[in-house]
Amino acid sequence: MSETRSSDVDAALHNLEPSGEHLEFSSRTPIWVQVVKWGLILLTLAVLGWMAQQVIEAGYWIMVSLIGFIALCVIAVYATRRAIPAKYLFPGVLLMLLLQIWPLLYTVQISFTNFGDGHISTKEEAVASIVANSVREVEGSSRYALNVAVPEGTDVATGDLAYLLTDAEGTYYVGTLEGLEELPADGVEAGPTGRIISAPGWTALTPQEVNDRSDDLADFGVPVFDESGEQTAGIRQVGLSEAFIGTPTRVYDEEADTITDTVTGTVYVAEDANFVPEGGEGAALPQGWREFVGFENYTNAFTNATLREGLTKVFVWNVFFAAFTVVATFLMGMAIALLMNDERLKGKGLYRSILILPYALPIYVTALVWASMFNQDFGLINNLFGLDINWLGNAWWARVAVLITNLWLGFPYWFIVCTGALQAIPSDVKEAAAIDGAGAFATVRRVIMPLLLVAVGPLMIASFAFNFNNFGLIWLLTEGGPFVGGQSSIGSTDLLITLAYRLALGGASPNFGFASAISVVIFFLVATISYFGFTRTAALEDVN
Amino acid sequence: MKRTTGAVAITSAAALLLSACGGDSGEETADQGSSAEETAAEDEEAAEDEEAAGDDAASTEAPVRDENAELVIWSDDVRAPILTEWAEQFGEEYGITTQVQVATDVRQQFKDAANVDQGPDIVVGAHDWLGEFVQNGIVEPVQMSSDTQALFTEDSLEATKYDGQIYGVPYATESLGLIRNTALAPETPASMEDLAATGKELVDSGEADQAFVTPVSNVGDAYHAFPYLSAYGGGIFGTNSDGGWDPSNVIVGSEESIQGGEKIAWMAEQGLLNVNVDFPTMESLFAEGRTPYMVAGPWAIPNVEGAEIEYAVDPIPDFEDGGETVPFLGVQMFYVASGAKNPTLAQEFVNTYVTTEDMQLALFETGQRPPALQSALDTVSADDEDIEAWSAAGEGASPMPNIPAMNAVWAPLGQATSDIVGGSDPAERLEAAQEEIVSNIGR
Repeated sequence: MSETRSSDVDAALHNLEPSGEHLEFSSRTPIWVQVVKWGLILLTLAVLGWMAQQVIEAGYWIMVSLIGFIALCVIAVYATRRAIPAKYLFPGVLLMLLLQIWPLLYTVQISFTNFGDGHISTKEEAVASIVANSVREVEGSSRYALNVAVPEGTDVATGDLAYLLTDAEGTYYVGTLEGLEELPADGVEAGPTGRIISAPGWTALTPQEVNDRSDDLADFGVPVFDESGEQTAGIRQVGLSEAFIGTPTRVYDEEADTITDTVTGTVYVAEDANFVPEGGEGAALPQGWREFVGFENYTNAFTNATLREGLTKVFVWNVFFAAFTVVATFLMGMAIALLMNDERLKGKGLYRSILILPYALPIYVTALVWASMFNQDFGLINNLFGLDINWLGNAWWARVAVLITNLWLGFPYWFIVCTGALQAIPSDVKEAAAIDGAGAFATVRRVIMPLLLVAVGPLMIASFAFNFNNFGLIWLLTEGGPFVGGQSSIGSTDLLITLAYRLALGGASPNFGFASAISVVIFFLVATISYFGFTRTAALEDVN
Repeated sequence: MKRTTGAVAITSAAALLLSACGGDSGEETADQGSSAEETAAEDEEAAEDEEAAGDDAASTEAPVRDENAELVIWSDDVRAPILTEWAEQFGEEYGITTQVQVATDVRQQFKDAANVDQGPDIVVGAHDWLGEFVQNGIVEPVQMSSDTQALFTEDSLEATKYDGQIYGVPYATESLGLIRNTALAPETPASMEDLAATGKELVDSGEADQAFVTPVSNVGDAYHAFPYLSAYGGGIFGTNSDGGWDPSNVIVGSEESIQGGEKIAWMAEQGLLNVNVDFPTMESLFAEGRTPYMVAGPWAIPNVEGAEIEYAVDPIPDFEDGGETVPFLGVQMFYVASGAKNPTLAQEFVNTYVTTEDMQLALFETGQRPPALQSALDTVSADDEDIEAWSAAGEGASPMPNIPAMNAVWAPLGQATSDIVGGSDPAERLEAAQEEIVSNIGR
């Protein structure tokens, strides 16, 4: 092209090139902008560095590398002149990753474990807890009065710890990691209970200093030996001023991976993340640990008899509940908005404020109030209308009650949205419709509604998804009940989310793994429905 | 309602995920509401927490451990002011800083916080949380000397034990009792039959609307149904060889329990039990003087006093055919967290302060529940009729099982009792509940 270009064009192009001034303007940013920019970058990096410090202390190495990666991204995006779109997109993308993708992945990960009550900690922690909790006072032993000390001349914060002990007879002892040694009474100052306050050669710690050495004290104990020189028990403190002779009654054998109860002689072996008695007789030790269980939670979710039977019923009700709520609240909200939009109506401000009220009150209050209004014997509704409907005790009436309450709670939202959206519809469209001979109803149905739907379509989908998981309303109003057919797992007004909550957390011990598995299943359901919903909205837009 | 205005569907889905697995995030999740019962009874009613482990109102935020204090105690809002005084005194004596923080759902919030190592040093709560705490390794034993152990009432000390080990220092006991409106029913009923007759008379004469109230509701309330269910020797769990509760021996469907279930059906026929009465309804019916009798715990008293109703407390009447109504005994205690930043001071506080009569008396002043320390109990019963009455009501009560398997019991058993009140066959329903409980425990 350039070869065929005439010199005139070249000259014209030359003239079009920016002047020196312009170039200067676009390439050199004012110094203060630079300072602010770098200040912000450094600030961000400093915050990230501080966060890294925190997670390093907690020992979460994956998080550390993640934070490092984010820091690199910040530098790459903001410290360079490249990647202009990324400069705008990065914060949003980052937040989406952190607040949505990460929890999602975390949930999926948990759904493959047995994480839940009794399976919270690691195996080491569980073993440590079992052994520590099994320490019993040696029968027939008496207590010591106690003070905690370090050898004189050593630092209270680092010196070797020792117990200054007084037994029931008033004899003084010093207990160290080597064992118990009698302390000459000379120069020992003791309190009224016999507790040693000071002793020559030792520096007693203040409560504050004892406190600071909690970690060291946790591992400290004075061994007690029998005649043959074998350790039989240990002297441990109880608080600040008392010590007892105790011995763990459960001992962990690391090689065999078993725990032996020295009192009953039972040997516990590790099985399914719990220590169970060898041979299977008797109860497992309470503390279990967290481990990978593969698809077990999913298999459980799909093979659970109650769940399988009730799931379809719950799903159908759930979809109907969400759909009905959206449609009904929208129609009612829109109708009122149209009414309020009429110029002939006086005192709109007042009406509007009143209509917003149900929306302004917290659902925690409203739902409970409605629940008591639906009471068969003592509720307002039956009393007022002279009815005797068993609103919350009959499956069908309970569903009606739920829908009525949700209509009450939901219509003000659509009223607000429609009021706003109606302003955006040009009045000439309505006039045109009127000229074409359309009546009021036809105008609304054929002109206003389609225009309105384009605007509020996405909101309806969001509303549908929200109501699909409207945990609060159901839980507060009916708790998922009434439960029919002699069981307490699947209620007539249960949504999938309340069902999942009850099955996984509400009934038996909390089981986060199982709950996560159900959440993942619900996620896919909602995502699918939403996907098709959005596709449909797009089609709606095309039509118009 | 639809407050996710700008949010796209996927946001809600993710929010759902967050809420569904929020238990491990260490924070309360917004989507979970508290049950009607809990809101009404507030946190006063520790026993009720059973049925709704994990339920929390969105407005209630979990406390965050006060980093500046050396000894941190978590308790509910009723006890916190008294505890603050004592904790401060303790702090002065030992030269440390203390902090008492209010937790609205102590049980769940402590579990969540302890799991991420952000928990307090001491937790104040009911004894039946113990099994769960031990299972999760978040509380540690309290090595009480035998002399100290002897200071407590037998039942209250027994309740602090799990697997034979003592895990806390008790300070109060609580159980259900019969609260009577003395204006309507001046006489203590001799038996449940007597109570039914008196109640019916009052309803017939128009003086009362309801013969008797206790929470039932559509989903049931196993805690309040237990006294009748266990009247003939039935109950929830059998005991194992060393006297502990045996989760593998559920006796909800046993003959004895069914006999109790039949009494529940009889009480429903007599108009004593009604599924439309839940905790708030019960409270308002009694406070409005529309019913002569209410079976509830000491936590229902403030409301009665607020309504200026003249009342008296008695043990729940027995049945004429020999059925003895036995309520659950709940014991309130101080736990030491195993993740305590200051285990020594925490142990010192519970061992030397909570075991004193002065502190037990101070705690009694706020809760009005019989103290667990024998000497304190003697002191308050001497000049408080109510306490003597509550203490009599709790006599022979059966300590609420503190094993984790109890979590699997509340919903099925509650529903079964509600259905029986609604007219279902007791044997059928209790046997079904038994099956459900067993399968829940197995899961």
